[in-house]
Amino acid sequence: MNTFLRCIILMIPILGILFFYNVLTEDDFYPGASFKNFNVPEFELIELSSNQNFTQENMGDEVLLNVWASWCITCRIEHGFLMKLSEQGIPVSGLNYKDEMSDATKWLELYGNPYQFNLHDYSGSLALDMGVTGAPETFLIKENIVLAHYSGEVNQDIWDKVFMPIIIENNLFR
Amino acid sequence: MKILLLISILLISLTSNSSEVYTFNSQVDEQRFYKLIHEVRCPKCTSGSIASSNAPVSEDLKQKIADLINQGYSDKQIKQYAKDRFGSEVLYSPEINSSTYVLWFGPFIFLVIILLIFFFRRKI
Repeated sequence: MNTFLRCIILMIPILGILFFYNVLTEDDFYPGASFKNFNVPEFELIELSSNQNFTQENMGDEVLLNVWASWCITCRIEHGFLMKLSEQGIPVSGLNYKDEMSDATKWLELYGNPYQFNLHDYSGSLALDMGVTGAPETFLIKENIVLAHYSGEVNQDIWDKVFMPIIIENNLFR
Repeated sequence: MKILLLISILLISLTSNSSEVYTFNSQVDEQRFYKLIHEVRCPKCTSGSIASSNAPVSEDLKQKIADLINQGYSDKQIKQYAKDRFGSEVLYSPEINSSTYVLWFGPFIFLVIILLIFFFRRKI
């Protein structure tokens, strides 16, 4: 009986080490990714370039919605990859978050505009309703349902590992 | 006269720069608000309630909670609103459900096992 108890006591730290080794060395661990599906909340915002009202009915069936702002440094780093995506024909669209309209327009003129449309969310109301905690964040939307939500910079690695499986699974961007 | 003008300018500039002021229908609602903002975690900070945070998203969430209280939402519905958007970790005290049983009762179960082993050993 005593040896049995000793074995159990010895197993506890070994199992603990194995557990943490497993968790900490996981390659496909993306804490910024969330795959909870939810409906895009109803909204009515101004579109940045046309200066006209925009609701979810104007949004296409398949959208990659990127939350950005001119004050956001990581967005500047992410910008190059978004340009590449838009050149590949991915319908990249923007949610301009807590930004002055003039600053946002200037930013797009200066660095280039990868976005098909840009919602101007000055108060951050739609962003709050979608669970945005800051910029940049990116949503993959199909027929008004969010399929993937990534908090942080999207780059080739994140695109391949987080977004591509969902895109292939749902036959998006064909 | 000049001094009066200066004072009034100072007063006006102070009020226009002050942070958000929340208005409620009743004293009870106001107390509910202050209780709730201490129970909701700031989604952007490492640890801290939205009451202690001035991150943009916390300011928005506080304003939203104030709005929802004025619209007649219950505390439970408001917590659900936050949870739906920012995940269950946004609430300071985790709810008791099948995924949190281990969290809530694990330590007690562990204690019982240890005690059992302890008494078992003494008998031998």
